[in-house]
Amino acid sequence: MPDLEKLHAAVIEGDWKAAAAVTHAAIARGVAPLTIVGCLVPAMDEVGRLFECEEYFVPEMLLSARAMKASMEIVRPLLAAAGTEPVGRVVIGTVKGDLHDIGKNLVASMLEGGGFEVIDLGADVAPERFIEAATARHANLVALSALLTVTMPSMKTTVDAFQAAGLREQVKIMVGGAPVTQQYADAIGADGYSESAAGAVALARKLVVV
Amino acid sequence: MRLKLIGCEVLFREMCHACAHSPHQVDVEFLPKGLHDLGGKPMAAKIQEAVDRTPEGVYQAILLGYGLCGNGLEGLTARHTRLVLPRAHDCIALLLGSHERYQAYFADNPGTFYRSTGWLERGQGLQQLTHHTTGFDESLETLIGKYGEDNGRYLYEEMTRYRAQYRKLTFIETGLEAGGKFIAEAAAEARQKGWSFERLPGDLAWLWRLVEGAWAEAEFVVAEPGQRIAASYDNRVVKVRT
Repeated sequence: MPDLEKLHAAVIEGDWKAAAAVTHAAIARGVAPLTIVGCLVPAMDEVGRLFECEEYFVPEMLLSARAMKASMEIVRPLLAAAGTEPVGRVVIGTVKGDLHDIGKNLVASMLEGGGFEVIDLGADVAPERFIEAATARHANLVALSALLTVTMPSMKTTVDAFQAAGLREQVKIMVGGAPVTQQYADAIGADGYSESAAGAVALARKLVVV
Repeated sequence: MRLKLIGCEVLFREMCHACAHSPHQVDVEFLPKGLHDLGGKPMAAKIQEAVDRTPEGVYQAILLGYGLCGNGLEGLTARHTRLVLPRAHDCIALLLGSHERYQAYFADNPGTFYRSTGWLERGQGLQQLTHHTTGFDESLETLIGKYGEDNGRYLYEEMTRYRAQYRKLTFIETGLEAGGKFIAEAAAEARQKGWSFERLPGDLAWLWRLVEGAWAEAEFVVAEPGQRIAASYDNRVVKVRT
């Protein structure tokens, strides 16, 4: 479908205006919103691949995410109006003490493109805020980000806080960020770890499947 | 003892000062600050190269003037000579003199950007080392030149938004700040970015103990030949694996 190829290209090229224009045109031609959304994750997967092999760097990823978000802005109200249920509800944030958010923002965008309702709490998020938001918004997934080995302990305190509040069984918890490892995720009792933003979407989908 | 110190250039003044006072003979090699920006695995590979270049049978130990540094020391393997690494998350802990002091200050002062002599004057060759540009600290003009007016401006806003999330610039003072120029430069940076400014006394005793050979178990991890350094995910920060 030519529209979707153009949308795919617009995301890869980081052209948000083209992404928006193609999305509007596709909707006008009767392409289903879900079909449009369905093209965004493969496009961002390709962007992720280009990042892994160092053809794309952080600026290119940000521009691709911008293009993807521009398409989502248009499609989101249509999905809501049609009563489309999200794949899952995820509360995402960078943990307490840590202000780094660019990677977390990329994952948040990609999760939305992947069909999730995303509740983004920002950075420096205390465990209590994760709990409040997960409870209030009926989230089934919590995604924690940290960029410093100094702040990684906040991931453990967040997992422990869910446990102490009797909520651990109600959510899956996934972790990520440059210094985070699978080993660390296992050590703190997280349900999953992803090394990349693209991998985060696949992991998130796996975790919310009942 | 004859010791080889492989350290980060960010700690250049502080480490040279410590070496000059050491009872031991210390040969020093400084690696670029830009390794920190390459990320954990590439940094670890570069430091391993430096360790591997060290001749056998010359030194009683190779000292590492680093902390865990975002896993930049993860997996570092001792070949023929033992490795000694402070149990520090990063150089800020080293400049403050203890893991506990760093943890406490960090927790009590969220949104703090740290500076020291090395953080101000070192790492200018960053772009050559990082063969790609992360985009951070690039000027608006450069970004517009690369990505066009609209995308360039968007990237600049995204990359500089962190400035609003930080509240304070803390300069760690060690007494090695020749003539006050470092303090002035740090204060100017704080003003320019809209942050408050604090001068925090550092404590170089931990670095001195590194080059004096006073490697208490609580403060240093020692990797014997064949062992490798790993993150321990607890308050000891690092451990050895066989």
